[in-house]
Amino acid sequence: MTLLQIRNLTKDFPVGSVFSRRRVRAVNGVDLDLDPGRVTALVGESGSGKSTIARCLARLERPTSGQILLDGEDVLRTERRRASRTYRSTVQMVFQDPFGSLNPVHRIDHFLTRALVLHGHPADRDRLAALTEEVGLTADMLDAYPHELSGGQRQRVAVARALAVGPSVLLADEPTSMLDVSVRVGVLNLLRRLRDERGLSMLYITHDLGSARYLADTTAVMFAGELVEGGDSLAVMDAPAHPYTRLLLSAVPDPTRRTGYDKAERARLRAAVLAPDSCPYDDGTCSSTIPVRHTVGEDAGQPHWVRCHLYAPAHDIAHRVLQSADSPEAETTAA
Amino acid sequence: MSTGSTRPVLDVRGLRVEYRGDGRSVVGADDVSFTIGAGEIFGLAGESGCGKSTVANAVMRLLKPPAEITAGSVTFGDRDVLAMDARELRAFRWREIAMVFQSAMNSLNPVLTIGEQIGDVLTTHDKLGKRAARERAAELLALVGIAPDRLKAYPHQLSGGMRQRVVIAMAVALKPTLLIMDEPTTALDVVVQQEIMAQIRELQRALGFSVLFITHDMSLMVELSDRMGVMYGGRLVEVAGAEELFARPLHPYTEALMNAFPPLTGPRRELTGLFDAPRTPDSCGFHAHCPDDRRDCSTRIPDLREITPGRWAALTPAGGTTP
Repeated sequence: MTLLQIRNLTKDFPVGSVFSRRRVRAVNGVDLDLDPGRVTALVGESGSGKSTIARCLARLERPTSGQILLDGEDVLRTERRRASRTYRSTVQMVFQDPFGSLNPVHRIDHFLTRALVLHGHPADRDRLAALTEEVGLTADMLDAYPHELSGGQRQRVAVARALAVGPSVLLADEPTSMLDVSVRVGVLNLLRRLRDERGLSMLYITHDLGSARYLADTTAVMFAGELVEGGDSLAVMDAPAHPYTRLLLSAVPDPTRRTGYDKAERARLRAAVLAPDSCPYDDGTCSSTIPVRHTVGEDAGQPHWVRCHLYAPAHDIAHRVLQSADSPEAETTAA
Repeated sequence: MSTGSTRPVLDVRGLRVEYRGDGRSVVGADDVSFTIGAGEIFGLAGESGCGKSTVANAVMRLLKPPAEITAGSVTFGDRDVLAMDARELRAFRWREIAMVFQSAMNSLNPVLTIGEQIGDVLTTHDKLGKRAARERAAELLALVGIAPDRLKAYPHQLSGGMRQRVVIAMAVALKPTLLIMDEPTTALDVVVQQEIMAQIRELQRALGFSVLFITHDMSLMVELSDRMGVMYGGRLVEVAGAEELFARPLHPYTEALMNAFPPLTGPRRELTGLFDAPRTPDSCGFHAHCPDDRRDCSTRIPDLREITPGRWAALTPAGGTTP
């Protein structure tokens, strides 16, 4: 049973001066399901709206429209102003920068104690020690200050803090991108272990496709505020369907594929992605309509879907005519 | 690429850099030796703190106290870089060796336009007039694929990738013989990274400079470099042709560094990552994860040995290697 569902989530941000009425649509009509015991990766380049989705789920941003369903209940309707304590103890977040997310004047035990006390749990030493050990640290680190720990250890503290209140959903926003190569895999392995041991549902946001393939069960690809492809991680990475997914994958340095690199194909993909109006694969339908999801396969019990006209069954093309004249995607694409 | 017959552009021999604190000193680089040939791209790979940036800064003579070069030599062409005085260094830097820094995107001055900043380099070093400098700046921007009308733009009006290109254009403005790039694409996303890399390759072919390329990303390095060295704990542990090294790493650390990145192909398998322990006088910090018997390594990392022609690795002769 799906734990957390996002339906048609949209988030606009104002741009320009306070009087400006211009808006940029960071997230546009996203549907996403987070299941217990599964890691869902959200991949895409900088500025594609990945973090905005995580911030909306953590209730740090208020979505412009759409629904967030926790156990089937639309929390945006029932908890209008701010997230309830129940919601916050169910959905926890780990941020990108472990150097910025831990207050330097407090010891490690303070962060864990605060989380426990605020949610009405007892914060005895045994409990803190168990938490630190669960994330692969030793109990004597409870008395250390953040600056005494390495980046990888700090990120483990951030994970322990998120776990303190016993969440069932963990939002991890690029948890390894600020870490040194030597400790990245360690943090990924920790997240994977937590998924298995605690049955956590996890949203793993990254632009590192290799790590998404390593950690995530499901991968969704985001481009310019919209999800363009999704499915079983291995299926999406090994047989990418959408031009943007193929572009992303072709850009990852991988010496083993050195011979398979086709410069002309790459230029075509780039053109398709940056200027959808002139997509070389387009027969004229892309420029005038919004593509809907088409299923291209099924792996490990999950449909592999893509939003691209190229995959539409010839006689069953369902088009939605582009509503607004000036689509906000243009701005995000240019950035 | 063979560099045996012709004189190398850069020859670093036995370089040792120490960071001196009160009462103790930390060795940032120890007995580092490598050469870079004309038009060659040489990569230095390794995790944070392995000394790769220390080596780059030593070559540029940018180290400031408490860092100190305590042994070794750096020869550029036929000149001894370590013997240069301040005036010579001023003429040497940028014109002979230029550097693109780690956070290069943020190294542009936010209150000057791109044109002013590139022009500044040309009027100072090349003594060009204002008009000539502007024309040359436009040429340089064109070289990295940016329209000349962006000369009037301020850094905040450009994307991260464009700023990085501007910095690269500035670095090659005086046609240096060697370009040092310290993690030039770390802050960029993959698509932009690949374009910058293609750009660097293109520039390198057109202008013929050599490159010292520093990164922690082994895959990226193997794609770009001709030859590469892997550093660990301040020492080079392996030097070889990039493709050979990738196909058959000899040193266990090289192999571990390659396995620190989840691959994009093949079946999903458990990775162990690198060992997260500091190097101490009685432990190289890595030997616990060494697959083979290397008792000798625990006290110090062995010296580089030529295993097969052109392939060097820091392995003890009794270490059980089968070259």
